[in-house]
Amino acid sequence: MVELIRLESIDKHFPGVHALKSVSFDLQTGEVHALMGENGAGKSTLMKVLSGILQPDGGTIRVAGNDVTIPSPHAAQALGIGMIHQELALMNDLTVAQNIFIGREPRKRFWRLDEDALNEAAREIFSAMNVSIDPRAEVRTLSVAQQQMVEIAKSLSHKSRVLVMDEPTAALNDREVHELFTIIARLKSEGVGIVYISHKMDEIKRISDRVTVMRDGAYVGTVSASETPISKIISMMVGRELDNTQADIPDLSGAPVALEVRGLSRGKEVQNVSFSLKAGEILGFAGLMGAGRTEVARLIFGADRRDAGEIIVHGKKAAIASPKDAVSAGIGYLSEDRKHLGLALGLDLAANVGLPNLGRFSNGIGVIDDAKLGSIARDYIKQLGIRTPSERQEVRLLSGGNQQKVVLAKWLLRNCDILIFDEPTRGIDIGAKSEIYRLMQALAQQGKAIIVISSELPEVLRLSHRIAVMCEGRLTGILPGGRETTQEEIMHLATQRRVEIGGEAA
Amino acid sequence: MITRRSILAALSAVAILSAGGVAHAQDKVYIPLISKGFQHQFWQAVKAGADKAATEFKVEVTFEGPDNETQVDKQIDMLSAALAKSPQAIGFAALDTQAATPLLKQAQDAKIPVIAFDSGVDSDIPLTTATTDNVAAAALAADKMAELIGGKGKVALVVHDQTSRTGIDRRDGFVNRMKEKHPDIEIVDIQYGGGDQLQSTEIAKAILAANSDLKGFFGANEGSAIGVVNAVRETGAKGVTVIGYDSGAAQKQAIKDGVMAGAITQNPVGIGYETVKAAVMAIKGEELPKTIDTGFFWYDKTNMDSPEISAVLYD
Amino acid sequence: MTMIVQSEVKKRTSSGVHQKLLAFASLIIMLVFFSLASSNFLQTSNIIGILQATSVNGVLAVGVTLVIITGGIDLSVGTLMTFTAVIAGVVLTYLGMPLLFGIVAAIGAGAFCGFISGTLVARMKVPPFIATLGMMLILKGTSLVISGTKPIYFNNTPGFSQISTGSLIGQVFPFLPIPNGVLILFVVATVVAFILNRTALGRYTFALGSNEEAARLSGVDTDFWKICVYSLSGGICGVAGLIIASRLNSAQPALGLGYELDAIAAVVIGGTSLAGGRGSILGTIIGAFIMSVLLNGLRIMSVAQEWQTIVTGLIIILAVYADMVRRQRT
Repeated sequence: MVELIRLESIDKHFPGVHALKSVSFDLQTGEVHALMGENGAGKSTLMKVLSGILQPDGGTIRVAGNDVTIPSPHAAQALGIGMIHQELALMNDLTVAQNIFIGREPRKRFWRLDEDALNEAAREIFSAMNVSIDPRAEVRTLSVAQQQMVEIAKSLSHKSRVLVMDEPTAALNDREVHELFTIIARLKSEGVGIVYISHKMDEIKRISDRVTVMRDGAYVGTVSASETPISKIISMMVGRELDNTQADIPDLSGAPVALEVRGLSRGKEVQNVSFSLKAGEILGFAGLMGAGRTEVARLIFGADRRDAGEIIVHGKKAAIASPKDAVSAGIGYLSEDRKHLGLALGLDLAANVGLPNLGRFSNGIGVIDDAKLGSIARDYIKQLGIRTPSERQEVRLLSGGNQQKVVLAKWLLRNCDILIFDEPTRGIDIGAKSEIYRLMQALAQQGKAIIVISSELPEVLRLSHRIAVMCEGRLTGILPGGRETTQEEIMHLATQRRVEIGGEAA
Repeated sequence: MITRRSILAALSAVAILSAGGVAHAQDKVYIPLISKGFQHQFWQAVKAGADKAATEFKVEVTFEGPDNETQVDKQIDMLSAALAKSPQAIGFAALDTQAATPLLKQAQDAKIPVIAFDSGVDSDIPLTTATTDNVAAAALAADKMAELIGGKGKVALVVHDQTSRTGIDRRDGFVNRMKEKHPDIEIVDIQYGGGDQLQSTEIAKAILAANSDLKGFFGANEGSAIGVVNAVRETGAKGVTVIGYDSGAAQKQAIKDGVMAGAITQNPVGIGYETVKAAVMAIKGEELPKTIDTGFFWYDKTNMDSPEISAVLYD
Repeated sequence: MTMIVQSEVKKRTSSGVHQKLLAFASLIIMLVFFSLASSNFLQTSNIIGILQATSVNGVLAVGVTLVIITGGIDLSVGTLMTFTAVIAGVVLTYLGMPLLFGIVAAIGAGAFCGFISGTLVARMKVPPFIATLGMMLILKGTSLVISGTKPIYFNNTPGFSQISTGSLIGQVFPFLPIPNGVLILFVVATVVAFILNRTALGRYTFALGSNEEAARLSGVDTDFWKICVYSLSGGICGVAGLIIASRLNSAQPALGLGYELDAIAAVVIGGTSLAGGRGSILGTIIGAFIMSVLLNGLRIMSVAQEWQTIVTGLIIILAVYADMVRRQRT
C-alpha cells in the first residue's frame, strides 16, 4: 500500500460556521476508506476541498507525497482525483456520452469533435460496468438511477487514482448497488483509492477497509471497518449512544379521516396514488430520490396541476387548483427548500409569519396592524420555542431549525389542520431535530393530520404512525409504523421498479 | 400537431382581416405611398389627405411607414414589397435617399413614376416633390419668437432628430434667422429627443433647470413641442414663451390654455393630397412642376379656429 | 451479462427534428397561402426582396442563438450591428483604406464588443440582461459620437455595395440572381451550425445553458467558453453590420434599436429555449424566414399596417405557445 492522499489539519470557515476544524484524513492505494458522520458533520465540505471546489483556510494537502494546492475541479482531475457528486451534476440537454466526456472530447481534424469515438468510449465504459445505457440518449430522458450510473461512468472515465463517491447508492436498488460494489472491487484491485461517503452501515461493513468518523466539523477517529462493531461507529458519529425512541402509535380507530386522496396522477412523476390520513395521525412518506413524494405533496397543495385524481378534505371533495385553494381548505405545506419556497429571507420573523395571513392584520384600506402582528409573532416564538432576539429579526439570520419553526408558525396561524412536512430536518443540527420531532408529535396529539416526507429512514421510523413508500411515481405500499417495520422492508418497497422485471429475465 | 393547426387558424384570421384590403380591383389605378412614419398624428393627417385624393380621383391608395425614422432598411423592405405589386405610380418620402436608390432605379426602369413627398428624395428620379419649405417655416417661428420675447434673451431648442432633413432644416432655419435678424437673442442649448414626448420632456426639464432665465423655447416637431409644454407645466416655469411645430390635440390644447404661444403648422393633409394628385397627373402624362409647395402657417389662439387654419390642423 | 438498467430512451435528435419540421411546415403553409392570395407574391423580385429582408435579421438571429443557448441573452446585437457598420464607414470612407480592412475592422470590432459583454457576464457576473442592455446603450451613443450623428456613405468604395446587393450566384447562374447578402446568411449559418454541432465550443455552449455548474465541476473553463460565445456572437453582428451598411450604402448611426427583439423573436420561433440548453441554427433560420415572409406577404396583400403588427404579434405568441404545449406532452 502506498499513500495516495494525506490531508493535514484542514480548516474551513464559512460566514458564521466553522465547517472544518483541523481535520486530517488519508487514503492508501487499493483501499475503500469510508467517511461517516451525520448531516452537517463536514464530510462533503472536506471532499469539496479535496476535489478543488472549495479552498481550505488552513492545512496541507499532499498527493502521492507532494504538497499541492488544488485551485479548481480541473486541477483535481489533473491530479487524478475524481468525484461523484451527491447532487447529480449532469447536463440534461446533452447526451450520456457527451456528459461523460465533457471537457475532454476526442477531436478530429478541423476542430471537429469525434462523436463516434466519444460514443464508442462511453459504450466501453458501460459494458465494463455491466450497465446498458445508450450513450446517445439525452440525459433528461434517463431515470434517476440511470443518471447516477452516468455519474459513476463519468468518474471512471477519468481513470482517476482517487475516486470520491458521495452517497452513490442513494437512488439505486439492490441489484444496482451490487453492480456498483463489483465495480468498486475491481477498481480496488487496480490500485485505485476510494473515499466512500454513506449513511448506510451495511454498505460500509461490506466494502470498506477503514472508517473515518467526523462530527460537527471535527475529526473523531479512524477505525478498521471489519473489527469495529456498528454500534461503536454510531456512537462515534452522534457522540452518545443512539436514541432508540420509536413512535408511540396512538389508537386512531375513532378518529375522523382528515384527508383522502384518490387516484392522484401527473405524468410519469405521480401515477395513481391513493391514501387517507386521519386527524391526529402522522403518515410518513419514504422512497428514494425522485420517487415522486414531493410531487405528491405539491399536487395536494395545488402547486402543480394534476392530470387526474380527487382530494377529499374532511369528507368533502376539495377543488384544489392552486396553493390558495389548498390553504383555504386548511392544508399547509412546509417545503423541502425552505430558503427558496417557504420564507422571505430578507424580511423579519413577524412579517414572514404574517405573510399568508395579512388579510387578518390589515384594516379596510389595507394598512397592516403591525403591533397586533408583532404580538402574535411573540406568542409563536414562545409556543414553538423559536430562538431569536426578537420578532423583528431578519429570518436569514436564524438557524435552520428556527427557520423551520417560522414556516410552521406561518401555517399554524392560518389554522391549517393538515400539515405536510417535506424533509423537515434537512440541514438542521441534531439538537434542533429532536425538538422539531417533539413539536410534530405535539401537533398530532392536538389533532392535526401530518404528512412527513423524509429521505432518512430512521426519521421516518421514529415519527410515523404509518409509512407510505413510493417508487418511480407509484405508491408501492403502506406499512405500519413502530417496531414492526424494518428499514429493509421499506427499502424493498422503495426499489420495486417496474423495469426490474425485464432485468431479471435476462 | 398544435402548431400547424394554430398557424392555419392564424392564417385564416389574416385572410378574413385582409379580405377588405385585398379587394382592390386590378383595373383600378393603384398608388402605394411609403412614408417616413406611420403612427404620429402628422403622418395620419398625410394619410387622410391621400385618402381624400384617392376618393376624389377614384384610385386605390395604400399608406405605410416604419415605426420610427431610424429604420432605414425597414422602409426599403416596404418600398420593395410595394414595387412587387406593380403599381402605376408610387409616392415616397425617403429616410435615406442613397439607400433607396437601387429600388428607385428599378421603378424608373419599370416606368413607374415616383412622386416624392415631405422631406422628399434627394435624387432626380422623382418627378416632383410635395413638401413644406421647412427652412422658411422655422425662420417664421424665429421671427415670431423674437417678436414675442421683445428681441432679446435666451432661447433653447428641442429638435426631434439631428440626422434627418426636416430636423436639420428646422434647426438651421430657426438658428440662422436668429443670427441674421435678431442678434440680441442667444441660443443657449439645442437638444435632440427623437420626437419622443417623454424623452423630450426630460430634456426640456433639464434645459429649464440649467437656464432659469430662459425666455423662449422652440419644439421642432409635434413630439418635441409637447415635451417642451409638459416640461413647462411640470416645473411651473414662468415667463417662457413656447413655440411649437405641427399640430395635434395636445398642442392645440396647450395653445388654448396659453402655455404655448403659437406654432407653425405645415399642411400635412395637403401633402398627402398633392402627392396623390401629382401621381395621378404623372400617370396621365401631364407636366409637373419641380416642387409643389404645400405651404405652412403660423397659428395661435387668435386664428386657430378660422376656417383657413382649422382645415390644416389635425388632432 | 445482466442488463441492470433498462434504457428505453428517445434518441437525442428526435424532438429537435420534430420541432424543426413543424416550423418548416408552417413556413411552407405561409408561402402557399400568400402565393394563392396574391399573384405578385411569387415574382422573382419579391422573392429576392424577402431574401434581402431576411439576411440582416437572420445573421443577427444566428449570433444571438448562440448566446441564448448558453442561457444568456444579448440585447446589444442591434446597436452593435450599427456600431460595426459605423466602424466600417470610418475605416473605408474617413480613412480611405481598402475594402478588406473595412471588413476586418467591422468583424473585429463586433468580436471585441462581444468580448467585453462576455467578460462582464462571465468574469464579473453581471446578469446578461443588464450587461448587454448597458452595451446596447453605450454602442448606440458611441455610434452617434463617432459618426458625428450623420450617416457615413460608402461612395468612395464602389465594391462595398456588392457585399450585400451583388450576386455571385447570379454571375454563375443568371436565372438565379440571389443577392450576396443571402449567400452570406447561409454561409454564416452553415459555419455556426458546424461550430455548434461539431466542435468543442458548440458542445460547451449547450453545456453552459444546460447546467453551468455541472460543466464547471467537470473541469470545463466555463468563463472562458462563455466569453468565446459572446465574442463569436459579436463577430457575427459585425457581419450583419456589413450586410446592412452595404445594402443601404451607408452606415446609419441612429438605426439599430429594436432589431435585437426581431432577432430574439426569430430565435424563439425557431424553437430555441430562452432557458438555454436547447436550440438549433436551422430553426433560427426558419424562424427568421417566417417573420419576413409573414410581413412581406401581409404587405403584398395590402393588409393595413396596424393589422400587420397585430398579426405578427399573434404569430410569435402562437409559435412559442405551440412549442410549449408540444414540450409538455413529451
